[in-house]
Amino acid sequence: MSLFDSIWNWCVDLLSNEIWFYLITTVVKLVLMFAVILAFVVLSVWIERRVAGWIQDRPGPNRAGIPLQLFQRFGSKEKQPLKEWLHFFGVPETCWIAKLCTWLRLDREIPTFGLMQPCLDGGKLFLKQELTPSYVRKIYFTIAPMLVLGPPMVAAAVIPFASSVTTDFGTINMVVANIGIGPLWIFAISGLSVYGLTLAGWSSNSKYPFLGGLRATAQLISYEVAMGLSIIPLLMMFSTLNMQDIVQYQADNGWTLLPLWGEGLSWQRWAMMVPLGLSFIIFVTCVFAEANRTPFDMAECETDLVGGYHSEYSSMKFASFFMGEYAAMVIGSALVVTLFLGGWSIGFGADAALHSVCSWLAVCCQFLMFLIKLVAFVVFFVWVRWTLPRFRWDQVMKLGWLVFLELAVANIFLTAAVLYFIK
Amino acid sequence: MDFAISSILFYVFAAMALICACSVIFASNPVTSAMSMALCFAATAAILFGMGAQFLGIVQIIVYAGAILVLFLFVVMMLDIKTEEEDNDFGVVRNLVRMTPGVLVAGVLGAMICIAALKLPGARDWNNPLCTAWNARSELCIGKQQSTVTVTDNKDFGGALPALNPVAATNDTKASSIPDVKLLGKRLFTQYNIEFVILSFALLAGTVGAVALSRKIHKD
Amino acid sequence: MSYTPVKRPKFSLLDKIYVVELVKGLAITMKHLVLSLLGRSRSKKDFNGKGVGACMPFPEQRWDSQLPSYYRGAPSLVRGEDGRERCVSCQLCEFICPARAIKITPGAVSPDAACQKQEKAPAEFEIDMLRCIYCGMCQEVCPEQAIFLSKEYLITVTDRKQALRKKADLYKLGGTRKGLVNKWNQYK
Repeated sequence: MSLFDSIWNWCVDLLSNEIWFYLITTVVKLVLMFAVILAFVVLSVWIERRVAGWIQDRPGPNRAGIPLQLFQRFGSKEKQPLKEWLHFFGVPETCWIAKLCTWLRLDREIPTFGLMQPCLDGGKLFLKQELTPSYVRKIYFTIAPMLVLGPPMVAAAVIPFASSVTTDFGTINMVVANIGIGPLWIFAISGLSVYGLTLAGWSSNSKYPFLGGLRATAQLISYEVAMGLSIIPLLMMFSTLNMQDIVQYQADNGWTLLPLWGEGLSWQRWAMMVPLGLSFIIFVTCVFAEANRTPFDMAECETDLVGGYHSEYSSMKFASFFMGEYAAMVIGSALVVTLFLGGWSIGFGADAALHSVCSWLAVCCQFLMFLIKLVAFVVFFVWVRWTLPRFRWDQVMKLGWLVFLELAVANIFLTAAVLYFIK
Repeated sequence: MDFAISSILFYVFAAMALICACSVIFASNPVTSAMSMALCFAATAAILFGMGAQFLGIVQIIVYAGAILVLFLFVVMMLDIKTEEEDNDFGVVRNLVRMTPGVLVAGVLGAMICIAALKLPGARDWNNPLCTAWNARSELCIGKQQSTVTVTDNKDFGGALPALNPVAATNDTKASSIPDVKLLGKRLFTQYNIEFVILSFALLAGTVGAVALSRKIHKD
Repeated sequence: MSYTPVKRPKFSLLDKIYVVELVKGLAITMKHLVLSLLGRSRSKKDFNGKGVGACMPFPEQRWDSQLPSYYRGAPSLVRGEDGRERCVSCQLCEFICPARAIKITPGAVSPDAACQKQEKAPAEFEIDMLRCIYCGMCQEVCPEQAIFLSKEYLITVTDRKQALRKKADLYKLGGTRKGLVNKWNQYK
């Protein structure tokens, strides 16, 4: 017991040190965030395929299960591997081991709804032969997939996933990096993935990937401008760039697009819905374009570019592009949720009420709420993908430069007018 | 050990920036040059982050690394510039003549920057470059009128990187309380408003010029 | 004029703003999603689908009864009503086969067979199912009505050798077929 006590004391001592406390909590948050993002990448692949199936009147991947073939019954009642197995070891069927196995559903297929499909696909891609064409520029060919996958992961650091908790040792703020430039950080870092696309296109040293890379570069740069301008009305309202403060404001005064409590009941906030709605439309469209999703997947449109910038890639390098794309989609969703849909806040004053009961409970509920909103928005992404056909290249450029840029700039003036005249 | 973590990181990123800057010049492949320039920008941004000037750092990444350099890369790739070949046909004398003006200009510029940098307060405190920089900055920017800014949440280590020595830590909390976006905005729109407007007009003129140049003129 | 100009539709301002049409499109896809989740997809009944959407969960439920009479599955050899091997190893199918899947070793009719008139019968008849393209040319070319495409479509092997179908397998698959022309009966 003394050993346990000494370990406990050592932990308390360690956590009492401000710096160690900071380091430990940060690492835990970092691991959590990373796990959530990676899990969401896998999950969004599954969501994509299932929702695509349902929209097209078919089930989508629903078969791949946990491969416990030894235990599986394969639908027939005669063939019961579990029974045979138990018999092989001489265990009677009424024994507690047998009951435990039955209780654990080891005698039948485990219903996974096809959730294993993306995992198995990932495993397959790991095991595939990696083919590097002889004519590529090797160094850049290798680092390009990393440059696509890395930035979204780093960009996730500033997204708050719950409010803060005060413990005996200090306050834990449920965001990995609580910096004063939240949205800008995400724009900057996820904007860097354009290097990955460009270099992939160039280093592949063949026509279609090159065209894909050029398209990706042009598109990402164009839409970054409108994207940055479109959130200025929001920042004028929040008057802060700290993501945690932005979400806290929404929790207290109504979500940006749902001002139904707190200050949100004022006339000013309702008048603000016009510019905010406009900026929501612009911003979401730009997030689609930045994440290279249909209807803006010009960089890899298979009808004119074979596979786009990743035509020459295979195996895990291709999978990195694939995952990077989905990670960008998840980060884009998280950003939209945080800025427009209240982030982690449960809404209707429930956050403060839960906090007064138990702050850990509040944090858990908020984290769940954040995940639910994230899933909902990922589904929206997929829903749009299976509804809209791809735009033509000149339409994409026109939309970015001639419509959204002007609209975003006008929106800033409109917001200023609303804030100035309506009190 | 009197080093703060942020100071170590400062030297790491400073070295990285210098090495990348050299590789911009010496790399034979233009794409390598462009990429090392991007790395150089990233390292500079990291140094700015370390000083707590997050806004400047992020603007460095957004504007330079995220937009301008991508266009550079774009052009380099479009033109498909071949790897530069060494041409040593010139004699020694001619080479010297060729190099002298460059070396002179670079030397004078370098000396000017060095002198200016060494004159800054605390520039000779090698152990703790960032702490002194923070001190200097808080004297320069906040000084008298901005002292009303309250320390909001020190536990978050929102601003500068946390330091592992106590002196640095106290400085750290002081520096992290600078709301640097607000500060920058206020300065830009009040004290330096005229300069800001003039610069904006210059940029606008450049944009209009580019549009005018790239416009096709139809001759009927 | 060698071409007719396509008449482009006139768009109203509402169409050009695109948002309304976008919402309409989203509503249509959402309708499909909800209906297939509720198990009431359009034309679910026509397709006799039992699963999600209009689909049929394949290995448990099959379309075998709905296969058309002209369905082209794996080729098979048949026996007549009298139980006679119909193949006379003329090798026409071997020559016509575009994928060269068929290999016949000709031989004599076994001396104890009831009908000796056609004199020849295949000593061995092999079809490589990895090569077969189910075109049905062997069936068309056969002058003896001996080879037919069956309705078997589940051809799964774990080994290349398993894909090589021997004479016995082919006869087993084809079985006996009624109503064929017995042209050898008229010869004495």
